[in-house]
Amino acid sequence: MTTKPPSSLRLTTVDTEDTVRIEVHGDLDYDNADHLLLAVTDKLAEHPRLGDLHLHCAGLELVDSMGLSILLMIHRRTSAAGVRLHLDDRPARLDRLLSLTGTLEHFTAPLTEGAEGSPGSSAEPPQTGGETTPAGPRDRTAPP
Amino acid sequence: MRHAPYPVFVADGQGTLLLRSDAAGALLPGARPGAVFTDVVPAWLSAAHDALTEPGRRAGRAVHTPVSGAISERSFEAHSSVQDDNSVVWWLIDDTDHQLVRDALQMERERTEFLAKTSNLLLSSLNLERCMDVTAQLAAEYLADAALVIAPARGQRLPVVSCLRGDSPVRSQESADPDDVPGLDEALRGFPPVPSRWIDPGVAPDWMVPADFGPVGSIVITPLPGHGVAAGALVLLRRSGTAAFTEGEEVFARLFATRAGAAMSAARLYAEQAAITEVLMRELLPPSLHQISGVDFSGGYRPSEDHERIGGDFYDVHPAAVEGEASLVALGDVCGKGLEAAVLTGKIRNTLHALLPMADDHQRMISLLNTALVNSHHTRFATLVLASAIREGSGVNLRLTSAGHPPPLIVRTSGEVEEAATSGTLVGAIPETRARTAAVTLAPGDSCVLYTDGITEAKGGPLGGTEFGEERLQRVLAQCAGMPSEGIVEHVQMLASQWVGKGRHDDMAVVVISAPRTQHLSAVNGRTRGRYTS
Repeated sequence: MTTKPPSSLRLTTVDTEDTVRIEVHGDLDYDNADHLLLAVTDKLAEHPRLGDLHLHCAGLELVDSMGLSILLMIHRRTSAAGVRLHLDDRPARLDRLLSLTGTLEHFTAPLTEGAEGSPGSSAEPPQTGGETTPAGPRDRTAPP
Repeated sequence: MRHAPYPVFVADGQGTLLLRSDAAGALLPGARPGAVFTDVVPAWLSAAHDALTEPGRRAGRAVHTPVSGAISERSFEAHSSVQDDNSVVWWLIDDTDHQLVRDALQMERERTEFLAKTSNLLLSSLNLERCMDVTAQLAAEYLADAALVIAPARGQRLPVVSCLRGDSPVRSQESADPDDVPGLDEALRGFPPVPSRWIDPGVAPDWMVPADFGPVGSIVITPLPGHGVAAGALVLLRRSGTAAFTEGEEVFARLFATRAGAAMSAARLYAEQAAITEVLMRELLPPSLHQISGVDFSGGYRPSEDHERIGGDFYDVHPAAVEGEASLVALGDVCGKGLEAAVLTGKIRNTLHALLPMADDHQRMISLLNTALVNSHHTRFATLVLASAIREGSGVNLRLTSAGHPPPLIVRTSGEVEEAATSGTLVGAIPETRARTAAVTLAPGDSCVLYTDGITEAKGGPLGGTEFGEERLQRVLAQCAGMPSEGIVEHVQMLASQWVGKGRHDDMAVVVISAPRTQHLSAVNGRTRGRYTS
């Protein structure tokens, strides 16, 4: 468990072997969004066998265009690494931004890239808050 | 007493020297016992003696505060003790070295203070000319009788600021060859300075010496070091009557020059950046709009006041190439700020321009634009709205397509405000795009409002932190029903600006497309269809 301090963006991460969960609190904006990308990039490098990356978004406040750009970049990187990205517990505001910009589908569509496409795995993030996708051994995917 | 290691004098109340030590004799050979004390010792000591022995003063073995002064180029501190018989014993202690150290400390303090003042004055300005002025003035005030700050040559000319002590700095451009002055060319190229004693003051050209300065006694030429390249050279001049520059003073001048050069260099970099920003801004400035083929277009743009960050909003109107085809309006918002956003904005505007021949197919245009923009290095994106407008009878037919942008709002003359039913993906970040186009017909007096989120996300209001919001925008537009397009643009901009007040805001762009209210030229009873002006 690590906490990144200074900015108004705070990240709390919880790792298991094949799942990383990052709780995002504060503003994902022009000044801070980079931190999240760095954190995700680090996690991808640390866990080569990662199957699922959960960004827990309930604590997200402002997301500006730079923040969205960073989310798109994170999606691009996770897809390239064959990791499923989940934007969990999205606040209504984030949902509005994603649907306005036509990116909601992009973020929630099943993973198409990469060698592994274990059917039935949780590509669709939960639409209601509270419960997160269970992260257990059954989600574990074989290394390519 | 005679062999005391310090100079000691004993003199009585009448001022007669009674005794002296050998050391005192060596110091003041004329001071023999029996001599009049006040005649043979320096004035500062005799005055102190008089003060101690003046009549009426209570005698006693009191210790008095020491006095100090010079005796034959050395500095002494004289300690006195008054005896019972009113004679005074004077002990002299040589404190010359002590004094020298104290003076050096004092000078070091003054220099540090001066350097701190230099930094404060120079760093508070990002204007190169002002930096040069301040440098010349400070140098003339503290380091020399006159100082010149010379910037690297611009073409054949040397920008020069010269300042005489006590005067104001004077700017000029000298068409001089720096090679003509020994050490100047080297200094301008950032080489270490030539020692002052090697520069013949007689070679200083006329332009270097202020009028009425008189003969130059000594010169120091030192580089003003900048970031990577020299920021210029500092020339210090002293009159022939003034002491020449010492080595210590030259070193100090270099310390000063380091600070001044850094400030000038920063100012120059800032000026260059400001110039680039200005060029880009000019290029990105939205066009002024007017009526095209019977359709009214108006636009307004209020850039963010954050000057370093060139805004990311843009709009363009492309009139139809052929009469009878639609004109195309593009309004968009590029993610991020600064140079990268500006470059992306330029790319989008150029690409759209090149894609005009397929303006009848918005989806295709957006898809091609997206392909041109998607890039493996970043996910910088843009959202935009395309609007094709063509006059049809007295109305205007619109095709509106949003690519991830807030949908345009249609303002009917009745005061109804509707969102155009269009939506789509943003461009520039993901490989595939989809977009839905809405067809809308504007009756005379109806308007279509394209805007960027700088308006709806403007924070302000009575409490300061509330967003202007879409609902408020719709309410404002309802009151604009039937207004001409320019009126709507102005009204929206005014209210959004008032909402923000003095707060910071993002770029705000609005474009309004209106079907002009028609005037019936030959309508008789208002029921028959008349002819319209266009």
